[in-house]
Parts: sequence; C-alpha cells; structure tokens
Amino acid sequence: MKEVGGFRVEAILIEELATIQHEYYCSIALDASGRQFFLIASKEGGIDIEEVAASHPEDIIKERFSFKQGLTRELAKNVAEQLGFTPQLLNAVINIFLKLWEITTKMEAQLVEINPLVLTPSGLIAVDGKMILDDDAAFRQPLIQNLEEKKLSDLEKLAKQAGFSFVELDGEIGILANGAGLTMALLDVLSQIGLRPANFLDVGGGASKERVYKALELIFKLKPRCVLINIFGGITRCDIVAEAIIQALKDFTTAPPMVIRLTGTNEKEGIELLKNEGINAFKEVIEVVNKVKEVLSG
Amino acid sequence: MANMYISDNSKVVVQGITGNQGAFHTKLMLEYGTKIVAGVTPKKGGQEVHSVPVFNTVEEAVRETGCDISIIFVPARFTFEAVKESLSAGIKMTCIITENVPVFDMLRLVEMAQERDQHLIGPNCPGMMIPDKIKLGIMPGDMCHYGNVAVISKSGTLSYEITKTIGNAGIGVSAYIGIGGDPVRGKTMIEVVEYYSKDPNTEKIVLIGEIGSDEEEKTAEFIKKNVSKPVVAYIAGKSAPEGKRMGHAGAIISGDFGTAQGKIKALKNAGALIADLPWNIPKLLKS
Repeated sequence: MKEVGGFRVEAILIEELATIQHEYYCSIALDASGRQFFLIASKEGGIDIEEVAASHPEDIIKERFSFKQGLTRELAKNVAEQLGFTPQLLNAVINIFLKLWEITTKMEAQLVEINPLVLTPSGLIAVDGKMILDDDAAFRQPLIQNLEEKKLSDLEKLAKQAGFSFVELDGEIGILANGAGLTMALLDVLSQIGLRPANFLDVGGGASKERVYKALELIFKLKPRCVLINIFGGITRCDIVAEAIIQALKDFTTAPPMVIRLTGTNEKEGIELLKNEGINAFKEVIEVVNKVKEVLSG
Repeated sequence: MANMYISDNSKVVVQGITGNQGAFHTKLMLEYGTKIVAGVTPKKGGQEVHSVPVFNTVEEAVRETGCDISIIFVPARFTFEAVKESLSAGIKMTCIITENVPVFDMLRLVEMAQERDQHLIGPNCPGMMIPDKIKLGIMPGDMCHYGNVAVISKSGTLSYEITKTIGNAGIGVSAYIGIGGDPVRGKTMIEVVEYYSKDPNTEKIVLIGEIGSDEEEKTAEFIKKNVSKPVVAYIAGKSAPEGKRMGHAGAIISGDFGTAQGKIKALKNAGALIADLPWNIPKLLKS
C-alpha cells in the first residue's frame, strides 16, 4: 500500500474539478504557550504555504485574539479586507472565518485549517482542510470518539488502549520507563553511547500493577535482547512496579533478561520485593546502562 | 518568605483527598512537614484522611481552616469544576496534578485566574517544592536540600532525576517548580523564569525542557533580553524520531520550532550552558 507523508493511504476522495482562479490560505490555530489564538490568512495559499511563511513572512497575515473575546466580526472583516477581496465576496469570507471559530470552540480544536480556499467563477470553495483535536476532550466530543489514529502500528494501538505512550523503534533493547521526559532522556543517553532502543514506552503517571504488566507483555512481543526498566517514582510507586515485574517473570518463562532501576516513591519496598524473588535492582541510571552493555556483549 | 506564592506557612487543602492518589500523597506531604489543614471531596464531608478533616466544598474548608493554597488530585473530567471552586473560594495558588485535562478547560481556567490575580500551576505537573520547607506535589521529598538554585521543568520524572543529581552533588535548591507537560499551562516557562530571575534567594536557574511546543525558544529569547543570572539547561528528545507537526499553522506561527536541536541552539544563543547528559548539570552549576 502506498504511503504519502508517512501516512498509509486508506481511501481516495474524488471531487469535481474546480476551476481555480486563485488559492488562499486560512486557519485558526491555538498558540498554546501564548494562551491565545491566531487567525492566519494569506493570498498565497496552496501546498507551498510553509515556504511562503519562511521566505515572504509579509505575505502571511496573523492576528491574535483571546479565547474569552473570541473571533470578532470586526477582526474577521479586517483580515478579509487585507486579503483584498472584492466587496461582493467580503461577506462570504468573513462568514468563513467566523465559521472556523465556531468549529474551533464547538470541537475544542487546536487547529482548523482550510488550504487552499479556492476562488472559482462560481464563488469560494474549501478544497482541502485539516483539524487538530484534543484526545483529552474525547469524552464529551462524540464526533471524535470513533476516530482512529491511522498511523499507529498494531502494537501502538494496543498500547493506546492500555493507556500508555508507545512508539516502536528499530533497536534491540526493550524500554519501560515513566514520564515522557525521563524516557526520552534515557533514549538519548543510550543513542549517545551507540545502544539501540527497540521502543519508547512511557508507562504514565501512577501506573497500576495491571498497566505495568501489560507494558511488559507488549515489550516482550518486540522480542528484544534485553529489557531496561527505568522508574523514578513520584506518583508512580516502585512497590507496584516491582509486583508487576515479579508477576510477568512468573508468567513469561522465556522473557529476555531484565535490567531494572527503581528509585523514588516506595523505592525500599520495591527493591525489597524484588530481592525476595532473587531479582537485583539498581538505583542509578548509569549502573543500568552499564549493565545493559554487559548483557548485550555477553 | 513567600516563594511562587507558597511558603512554609502555607495552609494547604487537598482536593480529591479521599481518592487513592490524593490520600497517599497527603500522607507523604504531611511527612515532609507540609501544613495540610483540610481535604475536599464532595459528599464526603465529615470524614478524616490521615487525621486531616474532609469538607464538602473548598469554601467550607476555607471558612473552617483558613487554607490558602490548594492541590488538585481529582480525575481529569472533574478538574475544571474543582479548580473553578478553588478560584471562587479565593485560593491564591492552585496546583493541578491531574493529567489529561482538556485544553479548553485550561484556557477557561487560566483566564479566570488572571482576571482575579490568582495563580495556577500545571496541569499534568509534579507540583512545587521549597526544599526543607514545603512540598506541594508528588515529587520525591529526598531529592535535595534548600539552597540557591531554582529548578524549572516541563517534565516530571526527568526533573526528579536531575534534581536528585544536583542534591547529591551538594548543591541546594531554592525552589523546584514543575510547570507540567501540557500545551496550555497555569504558569508558562517564561513566567516562572522571570519570577526566579528576580527572586533574591535564587542565584542560578536550571531549565529542563523537552521536544515539542515553542516554549523553550520563547524562553530563550526572554533570557537573552532580561536574565543576567546563569542558566543551565538540559533538553530531552535529541534522539527522538521526527513526530507529527501541527499542520502548516505551527510552522507559520513560529517557524521551525520544537526540535531538540532548535531549542539547544536558541538557549545557547541566549547564553545558557547546555548539559549534554542529565548528570552533567552539577558540573556546569559549579563552573
């Protein structure tokens, strides 16, 4: 099956040919770190819009507005006028902008984009569009509940259902860690010394025994040469992680060697539990990284 | 001495105290010495959790105990109402531990807080700590002692790793602030850096960032213009495969942002020292 931009082609939509007189760009985007929104528009729409933004930033109109105030008709009109629309089309464009904002708030979207917005002899047509929605709002957004993320592998889908973030990589060391930042830092450290992780797996905050067990089960499916577990407990409890490890080792007799680091909340209890089962756990990252090297070369 | 609106005299209310996480971390915070005077869980007023009285509403808790700081452990879909309640009751600083809070809920809450000159931190954050004085959050308490380095982090567990390394090196911490990993935050990285650039008890700043968003880049710009204190930074995600980007709009808003390399370049350019490994931070702090 063909891929376009890393996405598998799942369906093809055939549309009536539009007689394009001009292509525009318009979107409403959340500026998250600025805690506001942008209405963005350009006369130079189409697939090259990013190049336009880089080489001719003056061709991109960007107007900010607060969430509370929302997109006003006045601001929408101002931007539509900057695009140079004729008086006959001005109202249609203003309404498109206001509609974008209505969709943004109704769907809790972080991006609602039309590119290109095409001028034809019979009026304006939205030829292509894109939205970014909030997974965390899915519980009250029935329309997005059934959307499936197409780019995920089967294992990644399983991970999503189980509630942790997981990305398949092409190395040989299975990774189970907690916290996206710590997991990424661990992968960075491994890559820096030439070791290759088989996956990224952040088991999430306050993971239950079941969740950690499922994570291990998933990692075993990758058939890694060893599994590196790096837990720094905050809301996650080391004793619960230890219980899951013990259970998994009992159930999966062919599990690869595990190199374990447990520190933070209930670290003593966790290490003690493992010790009682004859499993060694380390307290420092550097120790486990060295141990992994040893296991792989052994 | 107030520090990001909390101090060792802060009287804390735990919202969601009867839940698993709420009860467990109430115990750990009490052991640290945090003055937790009240808990709130609707319909569970009258109970006690680790000898802390539970009330039905924050308003009642404020009236009965004089609590002035809140920490939130309620599930994501009830967080909006819980924080709204805390703001209405006049709580000065509300620390939101909960993860998966909808972005639009945070937009509304941030606006409410700003209008009333009240403060939020988080969501999806480990909380904040003034070592040896108050722990308002889920971070391990034994990472470090009090000193003059402020640690500001987007990431939770990675900041524990780094703060512990700093503590092990005998360097003290004036404040540990976990701003959280979600897109819309109660306190932005720039706001917290600005606060500690002016804090008389802080001499150096440690910044822990990760790939995604343009927050580190914006903060680097701010540091370049406004911060004379030394800044040491670590950015996670250098080896991460390129992820999905925010449509065309992302690139249009702030150019080519979000990569570890881009963030490191911006921070270097602002005069920050960059640690290539998390445990090299103490060395850079001592240099």
